[in-house]
Amino acid sequence: MIFSASLLEEVAGLLGILVILSALYLQSQTFVDPTIRAVAAQSLLLGGLFVVLFLESGVVDLLYLAVITAAVRGILIPMVMLYQVRRFKHSLRETGTGQRVPSLVIVGVVMVIGGYALFKTALLPTLSNPSVSVPFVLILLSFLLIVTRRNALSQMSGFLEEENAVLYAGALIAPTIPLLIEFAVVLDVLGVVLVGVILSATRDVLRTLEEPELEQLSG
Amino acid sequence: MDESILFVVLLAAPAAGAAISLVPRDGVEILASLLSSAAAVLVSLLLFTSNASGTFGFFYSDGLTRIMAITISSVFFTSVAYSWFYVRRINEPLIRFRWYYSLLDLFAFTMLLAVTVNDLGFVWIAIEATTVTSALLVALERERTSVEAAWRYTLIVSAGLVASLLSVIFVYFSQGTLLISVLTGGQIQAGLLVPLAVGFALVGYGTKAGIAPMHAWLPDAHSEAPSPVSAMFSGILLPTSIYALVRTFNLLQGLASFEVMQNLLIGFGIFTALLAAVIMGYQRNYKRMLAYSSMENMGIILVGFALGGVGAIGAAIQIVAHAFAKSSAFYGAGNILVAYESKSMAEVQGVVSRLKYSGYLFTLSCLAVTGAPPFGVFVGEFMIIAQAMSTGNLTLTLLLAGVYTYGFIGLNRQSVRMIFGASPSSMDTPEEESGKSGKIPERENWVSVAIPLANLLVALLIGVYMIPLLLQAAQGIVP
Repeated sequence: MIFSASLLEEVAGLLGILVILSALYLQSQTFVDPTIRAVAAQSLLLGGLFVVLFLESGVVDLLYLAVITAAVRGILIPMVMLYQVRRFKHSLRETGTGQRVPSLVIVGVVMVIGGYALFKTALLPTLSNPSVSVPFVLILLSFLLIVTRRNALSQMSGFLEEENAVLYAGALIAPTIPLLIEFAVVLDVLGVVLVGVILSATRDVLRTLEEPELEQLSG
Repeated sequence: MDESILFVVLLAAPAAGAAISLVPRDGVEILASLLSSAAAVLVSLLLFTSNASGTFGFFYSDGLTRIMAITISSVFFTSVAYSWFYVRRINEPLIRFRWYYSLLDLFAFTMLLAVTVNDLGFVWIAIEATTVTSALLVALERERTSVEAAWRYTLIVSAGLVASLLSVIFVYFSQGTLLISVLTGGQIQAGLLVPLAVGFALVGYGTKAGIAPMHAWLPDAHSEAPSPVSAMFSGILLPTSIYALVRTFNLLQGLASFEVMQNLLIGFGIFTALLAAVIMGYQRNYKRMLAYSSMENMGIILVGFALGGVGAIGAAIQIVAHAFAKSSAFYGAGNILVAYESKSMAEVQGVVSRLKYSGYLFTLSCLAVTGAPPFGVFVGEFMIIAQAMSTGNLTLTLLLAGVYTYGFIGLNRQSVRMIFGASPSSMDTPEEESGKSGKIPERENWVSVAIPLANLLVALLIGVYMIPLLLQAAQGIVP
């Protein structure tokens, strides 16, 4: 083997930490554009991580997964989302959540620590792989991003982060089922194209209608 | 006959319909969708009568599969037929009508795939695909509320379904396979991962099935979607998600953790039904009220499957009966919406004096979905409460009785007031001046009456005639 097992393990650990840091960076953004770029970077990091996991385990499926993750989630989907941002210039900044961002970053850090403690006590005895704590924490951070943002594209970034976390967990727990995960990736692309159309329509109609219209969606 | 051919044709029909619908010639889309959905009904009937059980190549079939397949294809067919009346009235649709019919066909295809495929991983993929194929259908009317509802639906359901992907990963990690035939027939490896998988499935598939507290998308999407799409959401999409949850839950049979997870499912089910029954009675929007009624039914069905035995058979019967009755109610609501151009119950009063047949059909459909005898939902609900009583769980029995009663009164009080109440304009203005919102009887389109009437009759037939047939099909639902 070209690389020693301990070196690969350290690189995987380092990439895992970078993924968590990218999630916290996502949490700290009020502008939509860097949020999308951060989730793209996170997907590319994940692609790199899958390459390392392939070198460690020799499971070729992980290599396919790395290529698909980097190409679709790291490049194609962010390109579609950035196109939407450029098309509707007025939605460049998160509204409402802006002032709460510093508090949300602190909540995010607390969630990282709390999530790790929860994983260690509840899941580690069963899963017996401490690395799974990283995607576990990432899922919690993605939920935080989805529920605290109002902008549709920021919420979409939260969803992509959540899917990144599950891809990550899947690769660590059951590396031999990436065919299923590859299908999920393809569905993601379809979903994003669809959401792009819905977003366009939302913005078109939004220009002519007032906020009270949405009061019909309550109760 | 080789039954695996039947499964292929069952899926090929809506897929072909989706492709042909895109041919840019007027009328092709409705004809292709009608023929493909009729073919799906025919094939699912053949499957139902053949009692095909076991593995058929890529597919798996048991009583639940056959019941789900016939329910999905039937509501698909009636929704396509009702679309002919309903969607052409939409002035500025978000997508062209040929795309609407194509997506409707693909939506049915993904649901049929979810209930026939022999792999929990593909079940997840198919259910995730239902979101992709149906989100644009919700936003068809291109109003801000409908687009917002479609967005909420896409985001909440997709985010929730990721949890069920974790469930699939846990099943594979603990059992080494995702094949339903192997998991159902073989020895399940005990451990914490199986109940954990069921827990994640409850969150993921539960979000799609409208199980509280993950139900936030459901009332919005059901009320804002065009009526034929609302009927498919309520009648067949929610039960398809319940199907996926039940397939995962059944892995626990015979394991030590079964009882804990059974109680968890019963808890979520009864909480959903109670919450919906209470909220339903206070709705001001009649389509939203029907959406909460669907939530109530899904809660009860979940309790039935969790209880097992007669309760699970009752839940399967309720799925079929509810699908026909609720689609009839949504078609009736569609007729009212077309005539009154309002979803507000305050603005829609005295319907029967203007839309005689639709008014009566809506009232009867509401009675049917709330478990009035002799409709099929009554039989399903009766079997579920009987199972609760037989297990000696008095609290659950009383809670179910409370849900049935409160839900029945809440929905029917509102619907009767809306259909038979005094029209606001008839109280304020002379009859000859009452115009569009008044009580001048309208000549109703025969298609708009015949389709909900046919579905309501099936819901009635299920209660009075088809129970032995369904009982036979539902045997062996619980392994």
